Amino acid sequence: MGSNSSDRPSSSVSSFASAAASGGSLKRSRNRTPQNPLRSTTKRKSPFADFGSYMAEKNRKLGAQFRADAASVSSLGSDGAPVDSEEDKGVFRGVSIFVDGFTIPSSQELRGYMLRHGGRFENYFSRDTVTHIICSNLPNSKMRNLRAFSHGLPVVRPEWVLHSLAANRLLSCLSKLQQDHVIGKQAIACFVEVPSLCKLACSSWVNICEWRAQQMDTLWAPYQLVHGACKQQKLSTYFRHQSISTSSDAKGSINHDEEIKVGQNHSVVPTDGQTSECGGISIQVGDVACLKSEEFSQARDANQEPSASDMVHSTLTDPNFVENYFKVNSRLHFIGTWRNRYRQRFSKLLTGVKSSNENLKCHSTKQKTAIIHIDMDCFFVSVIIRNFPDLVHKPVAVCHSDNPRGTAEISSANYVARNFGVKAGIFVRDAKVCCPNLVILPYDFEAYQEVAEQFYNILHKHCSKVQALSCDEAFLDVTECDVDPEDIALAIRKEIAETTRCTASAGIAENLLLARLATRSAKPNGQRFLPSEKVELHIDALVVEDYLNDLPVMELPGIGYATHEKLKKRQIQTCGQMRMTQKEGLQKDFGEKIGDMLWNYCRGIDNRNVGEVQEAKSIGAEVNWGIRFNDMTDVGFELELYYTSTGYSECKALISVISKCYAWMPLTHLQVKKRKQGAAEPLKFMGCGDCQNMSRSITVPIAIDNEAALLRIAKKFLSSFHIDVKEVRGIGLHLTKLESAKITRKGRENIAVWLSSPMHATRSKCKQISQSDKQCDNGDFLFSSGPPESGDLDSSHKLDQDKPTLLFQDAGSNCSSIKGADCVRPIRSSVLPPLQDLDIDVVRNLPTEIILEMDVLYKGELSDLISKSKGNNCLTHVCSSTVSLIDASTNSADAGISDAHIDSVKLGLDSKDKGKMPICENVESISYVDQVTMEPKLFDLMPASLSQADASVFEQMPEDVKADVHGLLPLHRELKVSKDFYTCFDFPSCVQFPDPHLKTHLWSGDPPWWVEKFNTSKNILLNVISRHAKSSKDIRLSSILQSVAPFLLPVCELSNEVYAEAICWLHELLAQYIVLKIGSDIEEIYNCFCFLKRISPSSKILLLVYNSALPLFQVSAWNFDVLFILTFLMFSCLLGSIKVFSVMFGLSVLIGIWKNGKHVFLL
Amino acid sequence: MDRKNASPQGETARVLTEFLEVAVNCIVFLKGFYPPAAFERRRYMNVVVQKARHPQLADYIHSATSNLLPFVQKGLVERVNVTFYDKEHIPLEKFVFKIDVNQSYNSKVEESDIGFALRAFLIKLTVAKPATKPLPPSSGWEITAYFRALPQGSSKEKEAQLWIPTDTKQWLQPPDITPIKSMSSQPLKVQLYLEHPNPCEPKKLEE
Repeated sequence: MGSNSSDRPSSSVSSFASAAASGGSLKRSRNRTPQNPLRSTTKRKSPFADFGSYMAEKNRKLGAQFRADAASVSSLGSDGAPVDSEEDKGVFRGVSIFVDGFTIPSSQELRGYMLRHGGRFENYFSRDTVTHIICSNLPNSKMRNLRAFSHGLPVVRPEWVLHSLAANRLLSCLSKLQQDHVIGKQAIACFVEVPSLCKLACSSWVNICEWRAQQMDTLWAPYQLVHGACKQQKLSTYFRHQSISTSSDAKGSINHDEEIKVGQNHSVVPTDGQTSECGGISIQVGDVACLKSEEFSQARDANQEPSASDMVHSTLTDPNFVENYFKVNSRLHFIGTWRNRYRQRFSKLLTGVKSSNENLKCHSTKQKTAIIHIDMDCFFVSVIIRNFPDLVHKPVAVCHSDNPRGTAEISSANYVARNFGVKAGIFVRDAKVCCPNLVILPYDFEAYQEVAEQFYNILHKHCSKVQALSCDEAFLDVTECDVDPEDIALAIRKEIAETTRCTASAGIAENLLLARLATRSAKPNGQRFLPSEKVELHIDALVVEDYLNDLPVMELPGIGYATHEKLKKRQIQTCGQMRMTQKEGLQKDFGEKIGDMLWNYCRGIDNRNVGEVQEAKSIGAEVNWGIRFNDMTDVGFELELYYTSTGYSECKALISVISKCYAWMPLTHLQVKKRKQGAAEPLKFMGCGDCQNMSRSITVPIAIDNEAALLRIAKKFLSSFHIDVKEVRGIGLHLTKLESAKITRKGRENIAVWLSSPMHATRSKCKQISQSDKQCDNGDFLFSSGPPESGDLDSSHKLDQDKPTLLFQDAGSNCSSIKGADCVRPIRSSVLPPLQDLDIDVVRNLPTEIILEMDVLYKGELSDLISKSKGNNCLTHVCSSTVSLIDASTNSADAGISDAHIDSVKLGLDSKDKGKMPICENVESISYVDQVTMEPKLFDLMPASLSQADASVFEQMPEDVKADVHGLLPLHRELKVSKDFYTCFDFPSCVQFPDPHLKTHLWSGDPPWWVEKFNTSKNILLNVISRHAKSSKDIRLSSILQSVAPFLLPVCELSNEVYAEAICWLHELLAQYIVLKIGSDIEEIYNCFCFLKRISPSSKILLLVYNSALPLFQVSAWNFDVLFILTFLMFSCLLGSIKVFSVMFGLSVLIGIWKNGKHVFLL
Repeated sequence: MDRKNASPQGETARVLTEFLEVAVNCIVFLKGFYPPAAFERRRYMNVVVQKARHPQLADYIHSATSNLLPFVQKGLVERVNVTFYDKEHIPLEKFVFKIDVNQSYNSKVEESDIGFALRAFLIKLTVAKPATKPLPPSSGWEITAYFRALPQGSSKEKEAQLWIPTDTKQWLQPPDITPIKSMSSQPLKVQLYLEHPNPCEPKKLEE
């Protein structure tokens, strides 16, 4: 139907008003008659372009007829009843009904009512014109998807019209309907629409959904859930709790200035029933609004809902998104963090429990244990609806949002709703299909907190041994109480019901498992005793055996889908069947622990004690809603927030509460949800949609206990996924293997005492070695967890050069003393050498995997450093691995440790090995220490510079020693050389490089060092070259030269100084390149020279460089380190022609003559 | 050929010497030292090459190269030259095979891998004519090898003694170099380039 072209009621009214007034009831016939002939004549060439326009025209005419009829009815008073014109007219004003299907009264009758009472009647459904759908029977398909069918309009029964008439005002259709509405029967959505003046006035309206009222004359429930339905403002918010939407336009028209405070879209308005009463038949929205505004501010305060809902809630716009995400909206977060709060609150009681635990065990042997498992009935719902007694028997679900699209997920539903099939986790939309009357309510975390506290207060009052499972669930051990456990349970439940106005169920049995199972069957609001053997008192009660026999295995705690599926394959459905299986069989299939558990559980055996609180082993947080990033910095930022607001604060709380006993967490696991290729914007608003889950986990060898480190790791981690951050839809971070910091701290203290005498107090690292040492000894810990504090690093950073050596000797002796104390004890340290002591050059040249691994050890600092250091010159760094070894060992020495980490990395040690250090490594680390003691002396023995070294001696040294010596004197050498460069201006004689040791340096590293050097140099020419070298992937000089040549030519006229410098450097560059390549790739050098030669006519510089470097090439190619040139004995030919050829072979080979010590063979 | 030689160096050396034999044949043909009729077309590594038909010539080349085998294997040979002289026995042109066999290489060597790389030399050689210089009449040529150490001691065998010191005259100036082909792989590096006397080389120095 062409809704666009269909007439708006207002315009039609105006156009037809006069005609109707004058024409009266004759209008219809008059209208028709002239049209009929017209129609017959134009049948073939229809005046309507298409069906749409035809329908529009038809609708217009029907509307006109209706209005004409209405006008005549009102003027004539056709129903004979006295017309009190003004009020009566208004009953259905603004209401436009569409009758669907068979109704009683019939549609014509209803039309008549509408005619007489100011309403409108639509023959055809249109979303724009119809306000109410009237029907009494709906087909199943429409019932199923009422929203789709009704387009969100209220669907009411025809009685509503009659009742409204009888009451002489527009009734809430819901209130009428609910009286005859029986739960579980055919349900019709109960929506009330309050068409208001506003709507007529400014075409916006207040749509109050789910307006429930017990009776019209009693108080309206103050707690109402109302949708914002403003067309103009497409809201992107997800929570619309406790709010009535008042469109701003409406407000404007009502002209209540205070009302502005109500805010943009959502405000919390407890509407007083009296208000609507006094509003009369046509509700005076204005009045309502008045009251609204008065109560608004309080309500808002009370609810603390962020009402800045005009903000788009995603990570894009809201910097505090993540924080709010967890604070406001997550039920799971509430549950997750609840335990901490609980501990905080009941810590005294808890310790009491623990202390009495031992006693308990003695008792348990004598006395039959009695365990009560108590569980609140649908806690999250019942806490909310306790304030609304009328909702108790209605299907209610709790959900963070009730947006019209129904894409939020149900968090919890009450039992009534569960009967409809509403489950936690399904979409509101689907839930409404199952149960159209479902009432969606928002969370109220404060109430939850309050009720949970009350709940536990009661439990602790009745019983000293309470094990909290969750905020609404606990085990009690009532063995010691003399009272019958059933009575206790009854008393507790009664008290809970009285105090919290929520119900709880209880199961009583002799162990935890059975108690829990009993509760399950006791729900809702009941209790059940599951005796282990038949007692006279409970003749009708099932004995455990019988009960378990038919119990589906799925019901057992600890059996999830995976296990269930496995069991299904083995045809095990019930506990009875499972009992048939051998324990060994179960253990074989499910692993020892789970198999054991299954075997026990299906026999109702549970050996756990009440009060055994397990330490948290992992912690994690995940956000998969509203995650949208623009770029990496966003992510970083967000991650930061993320930690601070969630995981971290959680952990912080955790740490502070449990006497600071957690350090984190060797295993970090990052999960990223990435939008699937081509997946559209998800159905769920800002949801994660169709995602590809990627996860990666990493083991951090050292326990982390600071946020920054974690953040760094996570960022690195995320970047290692190599995905477009815009595609990221969710991020989760899980930290497992939490370690108790207590133990490590204890260790640290011990060691502090142990080592206190030789060590300076601040050198905590020295302690750490022995600490880790000790841990290895115990074999308990895979990783030592002495967290190098950042401050510590800083301080060591400041250590000047002398200190390390001093320290080293300390540490060295210390190490040896440790060794002496226990030779077998493996020396292993997890403490890394401080970052700044690493030789970055060496590190950089390591294979990537190793760097990554090391980076992990350094919690990401290493890669930062590497990227930074790329800019630094590497004058102080030496590429020789031997030097790095020395370096590393000195470092480790100064840290008081052996460098086991780097070592293990180098050895490619896998994680398995990390657990137990093989003995060979011990040996190695010891030898490290030895080496360490040896090496530093070398420094003292070295001459200040190479020039002091005896060249002849130097030449005799083996190659590797030479390299080492070079490596040890980098500074002097470099300085000297650069001095030379500046002094030798008189070109070309200046192009002499007296120092041969520069050789390997310009071209070492990747990219070659000279690139950086040239880049930082003041010389334009060199800068240009460097830039090109950087940009080109190919680091071959010839290709660099080729790319740079066009740019070199214009800049060749320079000052003499720059000129000379450039030439010197280029020459040196070439010279070293020749050295580098002569052995492997003469072609490349040749190409360079060919190119230089070709281009040299146009560039003086290059010509000079060419001339100066070419001899080097020739010499180096020619200058072989060959001592002997031999020729082959048999043959030498001097043959130049075919003639000679034939002659030659007639001759015999002459014998060589010894001449001047050489054999000469001539033919 | 000692095919049982299992070490990577042995294998490499075997392949290399075989290649050298072919390459020298090609060079000699390339220089037009003998009439083309003295050569026949053969296929080596799927490349068309020329092989001397004259038994003595073929024998010389074969013996010279195959006798290099033990020395190449030990890494003693630094380069192998094919030198062309004028009638004064002054070198005019040298084809230099610079050889570097990595002695510490331990992995298994695939003959086909090396062969594939060496094949490129042969292809390049066939088109290297323009880089060479025409030979004057009555010139000569020989194969020389540059040794890092004198073959002695263990290599008492007959073939070892076939290599004897030469007094081939050397250039006094560094030569001009024209690379033909380089390969750099493990465990073998080979570079083939041409050496010509430097233009400023004093002529007839001996006289």
